[in-house]
Amino acid sequence: MMKVSSLMASSLELFVNNVRTLSTQGNFRELCDIINKSTTTLARNGPHLDNVLETLDLQQHSLGILAVLCVKLSLPNANGANNPDAYKPLLNQVQDFIVGCNGEQVRFAPDTYTELCHLLSQLLIDLQMPLRGVDLLRRAIRKIQLFDSQLTSIHADLCQLCLLSKCFKPALEFLDTDITGISQEGGYFDAKYFLLYYYYGGMIYTALKNYNRALYFFEVCITTPAMSVSHIMLEAYKKYMLVSLILHGKIVTIPKHASQIVNRFIKPLSQGYHDIATAYSTNSCAQVNTVMTKHQELFVRDHNWGLVKQVLRYLYKKNIQRLTKTFLTLSLTDVASRAQLPGPTEAEQYILNMIEDGEIFATINQKDGMVVFHDDPEKYNSPEMLARLEKEMEACTELDKRVLEMEEEVLLAPQYVRKVCCHVDQDEPLTGPVHTNVTNTQGQSKHSTYSM
Amino acid sequence: MVLKEVEKLLDELEKAELEAPNGGATPQTYTQLLAVYLYQNDICNAKYLWKRIPANVKANSNELQQVWLVGQRMWQRDWPAVHAALSTEWSEDINSIMNALKENVRERAVILISEAYSSLTLITLASMTGLSAPEAQTLATEREWKIEGDMVQPKRIDKDYHLGQNSLTEDQLHKLTQFVSFLEN
Repeated sequence: MMKVSSLMASSLELFVNNVRTLSTQGNFRELCDIINKSTTTLARNGPHLDNVLETLDLQQHSLGILAVLCVKLSLPNANGANNPDAYKPLLNQVQDFIVGCNGEQVRFAPDTYTELCHLLSQLLIDLQMPLRGVDLLRRAIRKIQLFDSQLTSIHADLCQLCLLSKCFKPALEFLDTDITGISQEGGYFDAKYFLLYYYYGGMIYTALKNYNRALYFFEVCITTPAMSVSHIMLEAYKKYMLVSLILHGKIVTIPKHASQIVNRFIKPLSQGYHDIATAYSTNSCAQVNTVMTKHQELFVRDHNWGLVKQVLRYLYKKNIQRLTKTFLTLSLTDVASRAQLPGPTEAEQYILNMIEDGEIFATINQKDGMVVFHDDPEKYNSPEMLARLEKEMEACTELDKRVLEMEEEVLLAPQYVRKVCCHVDQDEPLTGPVHTNVTNTQGQSKHSTYSM
Repeated sequence: MVLKEVEKLLDELEKAELEAPNGGATPQTYTQLLAVYLYQNDICNAKYLWKRIPANVKANSNELQQVWLVGQRMWQRDWPAVHAALSTEWSEDINSIMNALKENVRERAVILISEAYSSLTLITLASMTGLSAPEAQTLATEREWKIEGDMVQPKRIDKDYHLGQNSLTEDQLHKLTQFVSFLEN
């Protein structure tokens, strides 16, 4: 017995010594290798890990601490208790680490770092205290990101915690930034986290009634290249349909670049939702209601019942909007009967709310109970409109620049060059430069025919 | 209250909630935060805040429930009920913000009325703005709205565009140059 424990102690000692020496030398790559090999040793020495932590310095030995904390999080709690108090010391250790660790150093082990965050959020979910991790993960992302618009796999965790704690605002600063790059994370970035980020993000935007952005997020999720059906994609597809009905009154055609999977497998799996869309296209609230009752169990099970109810509400609004296209004036009673509302009072309420939201342009005359519909008063000649135009132009310019940059990156990628070269060799013995005219659109189209 | 101050207060409160040990902030923080969201007419965030406040905090704070009653009515856009819910005595913590909210809501109602109605009864005007009939009459006269019998004819409030025109030209020129150079390349 004595012998075994001393053996353990010496293997831990070795670990600590390695961390100290290699960190001082700045030889982080080798350190990462050694750390990866010591996971089992650390796991076997669970009770002594706190002693190890005491010998390491937060800033100087960040990689060592990271490894130890990661093992600690994956081990069951020493006291066997599964309540917040039992985990308090460990949570504090993780917090201190994320706040105080050396960002440069942990970037050598992004996979372990993100694993730590995944374990942390899972633990907080199990302990039913998701709010505790929101601020921490926000810091964690900022620490590891190379630039603001870089997606990490921690993004998905943050969104999940925000959803579970019903606290959405902290996620918005990330969601509002369009992603332009994905962190490699040592080749361990699972597609799951990409899909989850866009799925959760879409849910957050839906909850905050930013339907435009929500639709975009669900669209990204369902147009991700795929070879088999992912449940995340399936659920995103269902929500995509509902949000699309709310926003556009119909199901927006799915972009062509979506995978075949969506049409072949995901569509048949969401029949109830297609029924809603079919009923919706008749503009009859009664029919939508019938379908809703018929599939209620399904919608409730999918946690989409609230959203389905929103769809119905928006149909009432859409019916009122359609009236403005046909009539110039209409009595409130007529509005009510044509929009299938119970009475003129409800009609007035709906119209009032829609006017405030800028969804229709009308004036109500209470004296004779009439509504006058107007055209959109926007004349596109205000300074605000100009400012908006300028902003959109700027966004377009920025987008164009990004596309050119990415294209250049692809053209210079060894894999691409090799492929293009091979084809050229086969076609004709011409060995001209492959990537001239990088920014020239004509040159680009020539290249793409080669790569086909 | 100045808008900037509210923003600052909001930041502090949100931070206080996120950094609260064991995930539970003080009832005072919750009440203030809820009031600020309502003041900013950010009903969505107010609703989810209410949903995430621990049940025991909700049960033990009368004022918190009062504030949320206002929020609920605002969500339903039941104007008379909003005013009714707003007309209570608020504690020191949220007194100023709730009073500012009251003003906000009234102003919002007046703007909406001026946009949405070509004529409406004095009673509707009074209930939507939360005023008594004589007060509503004064409000209408102040804004030079025509009163005929018990009918009021609101005037559309012109939205003024006060944009700084000075120093615009050079900025504009710079932007134009950028656009053109982008389009040409």
